Amino acid sequence: MAPADLALVLTAACCLALRLAGVWLAGGLTTDHPVIAWATAVAQATLAAFVALAIVAPAGALAEVPLAARLAGLGAGVAACLVMHKRMLPALGVGLAAMLAVRSML
Amino acid sequence: MTSNAFLPGLREALGAPGVAMAATFLAFGAAVQEAGLPPGWALLACWGIYGMPGQLVLVQAASAGWAGGVGIAVMGAVAVNARFLPMAVSITPVLAARNRWYLLPAVPFIAVTPWAAAMRALPAVERPDRVAWFLGFGLTSWVVAGFASLSGFFVAGALGGEARAALLFVNPLYYALLLAADLDRPAPRRAVLCGAAAASLALLLPASVALLAAGLAGGTVAFLLGRRRGAR
Repeated sequence: MAPADLALVLTAACCLALRLAGVWLAGGLTTDHPVIAWATAVAQATLAAFVALAIVAPAGALAEVPLAARLAGLGAGVAACLVMHKRMLPALGVGLAAMLAVRSML
Repeated sequence: MTSNAFLPGLREALGAPGVAMAATFLAFGAAVQEAGLPPGWALLACWGIYGMPGQLVLVQAASAGWAGGVGIAVMGAVAVNARFLPMAVSITPVLAARNRWYLLPAVPFIAVTPWAAAMRALPAVERPDRVAWFLGFGLTSWVVAGFASLSGFFVAGALGGEARAALLFVNPLYYALLLAADLDRPAPRRAVLCGAAAASLALLLPASVALLAAGLAGGTVAFLLGRRRGAR
């Protein structure tokens, strides 16, 4: 098997196992159980850390976009989301436009 | 009764989540083409792994000719996708299936976008309808992601640096909006702020474990703060 195919099969199997393990671990617990509250906090914190790293210290092509443009896009998008009663699609457009506008000015 | 919730889930997935998903997976497909891998690999990585950071780790390893070995690449990819475990734990009681076996078809769709959408929308959905809603959302975003990956693969040459950067920016921006929409509730607000603060700690660690460590540290601190205040 080619290395790329082997890596794909192994990663997919491990990711499926992580999801199955989570469903099995949660068992008969209810949403207000401390373990569920902790797991939810860890999942949300991981996502927040992912966003923070992707904005402040990204890898790949996104690293070529200046930090100021990335921050402007994030700030404008989040502000639009809060002002427009959490409507995601327009907020996404505002954030993207702000990032591209600041990028073209720098 | 249950099948009625499939369509609302499907429709929800075709809005902002579908756009964000399509943009991200277009960029992924283009990266796969540049790494010299075939289009079938792009599709199977998207549908089999269904977790963008892990997919990108494999593409980067392929670009480097698997210099560190397949085992190291797989471990890195699984580590950055390890959030699937706490996400699966937290969504299981929300899905409220009478029997855990009913959740099996939903398991492959547990990923950031369906998870975040489900955690927001499902409390307002009748309990017996929740698995069907999640299947409608998950299956739709999964199909969108697959087609976007293939499209990205075939249009890779036509994408300039600016288009690529814009597509890649959609992913963290969309996740940021999902988190921002939750900031008016105390428990998610604590988790988001602690997670973002813990990201600075991640800059000191190897990339493969950084995200997991930041999530565990930030999430645990947020959970303990919540317990101390006796809040939700």
